[in-house]
Parts: sequence; structure tokens; C-alpha cells
Amino acid sequence: MLRLWRKIRAVGRVAEPALPAWTGERPAAAAGLGGSVQIRHVDAGSCNGCEVEIGSAFGPVHDVERYGARLVASPRHADALLVTGPVTRNMAEPLRRTYEAVPAPKLVVAVGDCARDCGVFAGAYGVVGAVSDVVPVDMEVAGCPPRPEAIVAAVRKLTGR
Amino acid sequence: MNLAQSGFGVALTIGALTAVLAVAVPVRLRAAVTGAGTALTGAAGAATGVAAVLGQSFTLALPGLLPLSGVSLVLDPLGGVFLAVTGGVAVAAGIYGIGYARHGGDARLVSAVLPLFVMAMLVVPVAASVGTLLVGWELMALTSLLLVLTEHRRREEVAEAGRWYAVMTHLGLVAVLIGLMIFAGHAGGDSFAALRAAARHMSPTVAGVVFVLVLAGFGSKAGILPLHAWLPRAHPEAPSHVSALMSAAMVNLGVYGIVRVGFDLFGGVAAGGTRWWWLLVLLLGAASAVYGILQAAMSTDLKRLLGYSTTENMGLVLVGVGAAGLFASSGNRALAGLALAAALLHVINHAGFKTLLFLAAGSVLHATGTRDLDALGGLRAGMPATTAAFGWGGLAASALPPGTAFVSEWLLVQALIHGLPTAGAATAIVLPVAVAAVALTAGLAVATFVKAFGVGFLARPRSDAAARASESSPAMLAGMGLAGVACAVLALVPTVVLSGVGRVAGVVAGSGGRAVTGVVTLQLTAIAGTLSPLLLTLALLAAMVVVLGVVRAVAARRARRVARLWDCGAGPLSARMEYTATSFAEPLQRVFDDVVAPETDVDVTHHEESRYLVAAVEYRRRVPDRIERRLYQPVLAAIGFWGQVGRRLAPGSVHRYLGYGFYAVIVLLIVLTVTR
Repeated sequence: MLRLWRKIRAVGRVAEPALPAWTGERPAAAAGLGGSVQIRHVDAGSCNGCEVEIGSAFGPVHDVERYGARLVASPRHADALLVTGPVTRNMAEPLRRTYEAVPAPKLVVAVGDCARDCGVFAGAYGVVGAVSDVVPVDMEVAGCPPRPEAIVAAVRKLTGR
Repeated sequence: MNLAQSGFGVALTIGALTAVLAVAVPVRLRAAVTGAGTALTGAAGAATGVAAVLGQSFTLALPGLLPLSGVSLVLDPLGGVFLAVTGGVAVAAGIYGIGYARHGGDARLVSAVLPLFVMAMLVVPVAASVGTLLVGWELMALTSLLLVLTEHRRREEVAEAGRWYAVMTHLGLVAVLIGLMIFAGHAGGDSFAALRAAARHMSPTVAGVVFVLVLAGFGSKAGILPLHAWLPRAHPEAPSHVSALMSAAMVNLGVYGIVRVGFDLFGGVAAGGTRWWWLLVLLLGAASAVYGILQAAMSTDLKRLLGYSTTENMGLVLVGVGAAGLFASSGNRALAGLALAAALLHVINHAGFKTLLFLAAGSVLHATGTRDLDALGGLRAGMPATTAAFGWGGLAASALPPGTAFVSEWLLVQALIHGLPTAGAATAIVLPVAVAAVALTAGLAVATFVKAFGVGFLARPRSDAAARASESSPAMLAGMGLAGVACAVLALVPTVVLSGVGRVAGVVAGSGGRAVTGVVTLQLTAIAGTLSPLLLTLALLAAMVVVLGVVRAVAARRARRVARLWDCGAGPLSARMEYTATSFAEPLQRVFDDVVAPETDVDVTHHEESRYLVAAVEYRRRVPDRIERRLYQPVLAAIGFWGQVGRRLAPGSVHRYLGYGFYAVIVLLIVLTVTR
């Protein structure tokens, strides 16, 4: 307990300063969500590079939760899906079902080059295709892996904050 | 000849006739004859008991029937309560047995012994001399032992359970025997009247020794810590209607013995000097209640779970009995009457719901061939009536408002809380602890029965046997239905029995008046307190209807979307994904890790070629009975050691054996010469 306190005091504040309010455009479906977006993350066959960056975006440094986004444990609770990786054969049907399980209005964000166009895995025998080949995609985040700032920007575009 | 006397005569006559007929009739009719006869014996016994509670009594002395002391019977209201409970359980178990015994338990011996067992249980509460009591007690122990051993040919565990039961019940008998013999030795006669008269002149030390011995003997029959080890072994191994008789009727007689000796025979000395007796009873009761339900919560064997729950409920009863003794010894007779009424009501309630639960568990065992909760589940589809019966029994056992245990535990807690002003430092410490123990027990009981019902009956079947289960025969359902109706009456209008039980408790505890009055609403006479189980249940039902109606109305306004059940996107859910009894109890087991001390074993087998590759992982978890391990294992090991040592004395040489006899006679003669 004391060690924890000491650590807290020694490390101090690590979070980046909060960015000014979002003024850019937002997808039409996101407007219906107000300023709070619940996000379900789906790994459709990623190498986990994007997961590390998503973890970083939701971590203490970038702390995207302060802009009104939250990761949830079930698509039933979610407004948006954050999909990573090329969609593998085993994950195509679960991804489709996850999309169906999200209540409308819903959004899908394809995170990373693999999710956008299969990246280096294009044409591999276990890959069905990009995320947009399986479920409709509303937004894309480029990069292999994308920087956490890019993920933060995409999420802010959803929440509008 | 009044109703009580004729009823008792009829009960014994029918019981004896049934035993004879069971041997004589062909195997086809045997189950029906035994079941019907047992039920009729029970009905006559129950009628006798009710008549006794209402004020009738009889005295019967048959000096020539047994050598030395003869048989002496006196029926009084206290005995009547236990007679009525035993009779009631026997009716349900007998009717159930008609359908159950047909599938195996209809051997000649077993069929003949069942009515004898019921008869022995009817004799014990009516016995009015030490000799009669002990004969009835031993007859009860032997007949129940034979019934426990029914299935010993088919399963090995039965023999082991039988050995445990045989040894422990006889050690209990020895304790009771020595205690009552010391008592009778001081009294100069073995009739209860003589004992009552002698109790006034006994020294506190001797009285204390007698009470502790008797408590140990009767307590072991009631499954009280630390003498409970036989109960969760023997009760599950017996045929289920016998389990019901043992767990719902026989254990009560342990409580009867303690109340009879402590309140009635020692009634005269209860003022002042005996407070520690009742503190001991109360603490043992509280420990048994918590430990019993904790082991039940950990148990994955349906009938073993119910056996441990018996220990728990007998513990709660003893908390009430101990509190009653404590209040009586500090002069608060009215409160003592209330505590004893709560204890007796709990005896009746426990008999009701434990009969129902054991009979339902028997139907499950009968239909699926297993008692392992981890292999059950999904019985609701195949066995709707049994599922309803077990659910109703579980609700009754878990001390929630529409259940029976709620009323008696409420009375018990009322008595304990209002007993606080009773003087004494020990009382001031023990009573709040007892309240906490009762509350903890009630909470754990809910978890236990949610587990037993949810895992065992709902969700999907975990084995083929559970999937193929079909409903039991009409006779079995009738037995369960009877017990279920009794539970409903006890839960909704407990005043039906409380008026009688309250009067009995008042007489036994010496307060004279009734502890509880009222018809629909219970009103406590000693303290301010009212409870109306019927209105409470109606209010609960009304609230549920209102909430459901509002939810429906709100939902109807919103647009509905039909969606697939969310199964993590991975395809159909299988029974392997369900909570098992083990996993459901795991969080509880973690909380009580220090108490239950589970043993876990993980064996990892690696590949031959590389330590980094795992070939197989084996995980084992056991929750052993800790008291059994700490207390019994060393004793058993010591007995085994001395047995080995003793074998050296018997090398097989006849000369040596003759020598032993010779030297023993010499030593005896020397001792006699010196001491005379």
C-alpha cells in the first residue's frame, strides 16, 4: 500500500494534456449517440500490434476515456465496434454475429492496415478479406500499426468531444 | 382408553403386522404392503402425537416385558411433538416407498425392517424409564443400520458408510448409557419420575458429568459437531425414503433426548448452577450450523449436501435449545419458552422440508442413477413435478419469506436479540455471536440451495443420463406432494402448529403460558413482535405481479428487435459452458479458504522431447471435512497402531491363551482380596 503511494508520488502525472474540443466532421450515425460511445473491440485475426496500440490509447498516457469513450465486454452494451486484423476464416462468422448483436445505431471502425485491405496478409489462405468485405465499415484508421494518436483521433470523431 | 392410547396401540400393531406381512407376502406385493403399512403406522403415530400435544396422555407399565427394568411408557406433550413429527415423516416416506422400493430395495429383510424402524422411533419419545429409552434407542440404531446397508451389494461405499454409522451410533449409545446409568445410580431407580426427584439432590459436578455424557450421545445422533462424521456418509447411502426418515425424523430424537434430560429430568436444578451446560449447547449448535452449511455449500453430491444441511438445521435447533436453557437458568422463563418454541418449530419445519428434499433427491437418483450435481442439470424438462418439489423444498430450507425455515429462524433471532438484557458477561458475548451465526447460516443456506436447484435442475443436462431422465411414479410423486403441502401449511399458517408447540414449550421451559398467539399474525407474548407469514407472502406475490406488469407495459411501448441469443459469436452454447456445482461454490470456497482448507493438485506432464511443450495437465480439487481429518484420523491411526501391537498378544498358541485366562483369574482374586 505504501509502495503504491510512493510510486504514485514519484511518477506524478503522465497523461498528455487534454486536447481542445473536437470541431471536425462526424459520421452521421455517430450524431445519434450524443457524447458517449461504448466500444466493443473485436480481434478478427490481428497480429496484436494494433491491440497494443489500442491498449495504449486507452491507457493512462493518451487516456481516450476522458473524451467519452469506453471499452465494454459485450456487443449488447456497445455502440461501436473496433475491428482489427484481416478477417480470418474462423472469425468471419463471429464478426458478422457480433455486428448483428450491436443495437442500432451502430458504427464500425476498422483499425490498422490489415483491417482496411488485409495488409501483408492479402491473399493468404486463411484470410477471407478485409473487414469491409464482411461487415459495413464507417471509418478507417491507417497504419501498421496505427499510432495511438490516430486511434484517439478516430474515437474523438465518434464522440465529438 | 383415550385417543392417544388407542392411537399408539394401533401404530405399534400395524407396524408389527406390516413387518410380519413383509416377510410373508410375495415379492410383487411387498413394496406396496410395506409402504402402506409404514404410512399407516406413521399416521397413527402422528394422530397420537397431535392428541398428546392437545392435552391427552397415557401411562403404561409392562414390568414383565423386558428383564430387569420392564417397559414403562408415558406420553406427554413434549414426546407428543416428536411423535407427531416422526409419524408425519413416516407417512410421506411410506407412500413414497411404494413406488421407490419396487426398484431394488424390496428385499425381504429391508422391507420388514422399515416398519420396525418407524416403530422404534415412535417408542423413544414415549419411553418413561432409562431401560425403555435405551432399548428403543438401540432398536432404532440397529434397524436404521440395516436399512443403510440395503444397497451394500451394489456399491462399495455403502459398507464403509455402514461401518462409520455402526461405530459412531454405538459410541453414542455408550455415552448415553453411562450418563443415564450414573443418573439412575444416584436416583436408585430407572424411571424418569425417580430421576426427576433425585435431580434436586445431585451434586453439580455429577450432574454436569451426566449432562455432558448425555449431550455427547444424543448430540452425535443429531449430527452435532464434532460427532457429525457419520451423518453425511450414512444418510446419502441409504435408500432415499430411508434417508428422509433418518434425516427428518431420527436426528430429531437427539434433540428430544437433550431437551428431555436437560429441561425435564434436570428441570429442578436448572436455576443458576447449570448455565455453562446451555452455553455449551448453544456454542456447539452455532458451530454446527455454520460448519454444516459451509460443507453443504462445498458439496457436489446432492444427498451429501442434504446430509450436511441436516447438521446445519440441528445446529440451529440446538442454538434455540441452548438459548432457552440460558434464559431459564437466569430466570427469564417467558423468553425461554419463546426460544424453545422456535427450536421445536424448527424441528417440525426441518422435518417437512428435509423429507421433501430427500424424496425429490431420491427421484433424481432413481431417474438418472447419479447424485453428482456436476453430472445433472436440465431435469426441468423431463421431471417437472420433481423439479417443482425440490425448488419448493429448497425455498423452504433457505430461510426466505415464503419458506418454512423463515418463520422459525425469525422467532429464534427474536428470542436471541431480546435475550441480551439477560445478565451475565458470557451471555452478553455469546448471544450476539449466535445471532451472527444464524444470519450467516441463513445466507449460506440460500447460496447452497440456489446451487443445488440451479445446477441440478435448470440449464442444460450435463450427461446423457440427465438428458434421458423421466418423471417418477405416481406413488413417489404423492409422497413428495404430501411433504410439499405440509411445507406450504407450515410456511403460510404456522400458527396451526405454533399454538400447540408454543404451549408445549411453555410447559417444558416452565413459563406456563403460550409463547406465541394469533391466528393469521403471530404475536409474541414475551416481547413486542409480530409477523404474518401469510400476509407477507401475499404482499410479495402482489409486488412481483406489479413489477412484472410495469415491466411488460414499459416494454410494450418500445420497438422490439428479434436478435440471436448472444453466445460470444462462437456457435451454440454447450453444457460444458455452464456453471457446475464446483465452479458455483468456488467464490465461496475462496472466502472461507482458511476454514474449509481445500486441497488442490496440479500435475503437468511435459513432452519427452521438450520441457516447453505440455502433454497433459491434470487438476484435482477436494474439499475434505477438516474436522474429520484433524480429529478422527489421529484417533483412527492410534486405534490401528494399538491393534497392530495387540496382535502380538495373540500368536495362535493355545497354551498362551490358557495362560492369559489363568493369570487374569489370579489378578482378579488378588484385587478382590485387597479391596474387600
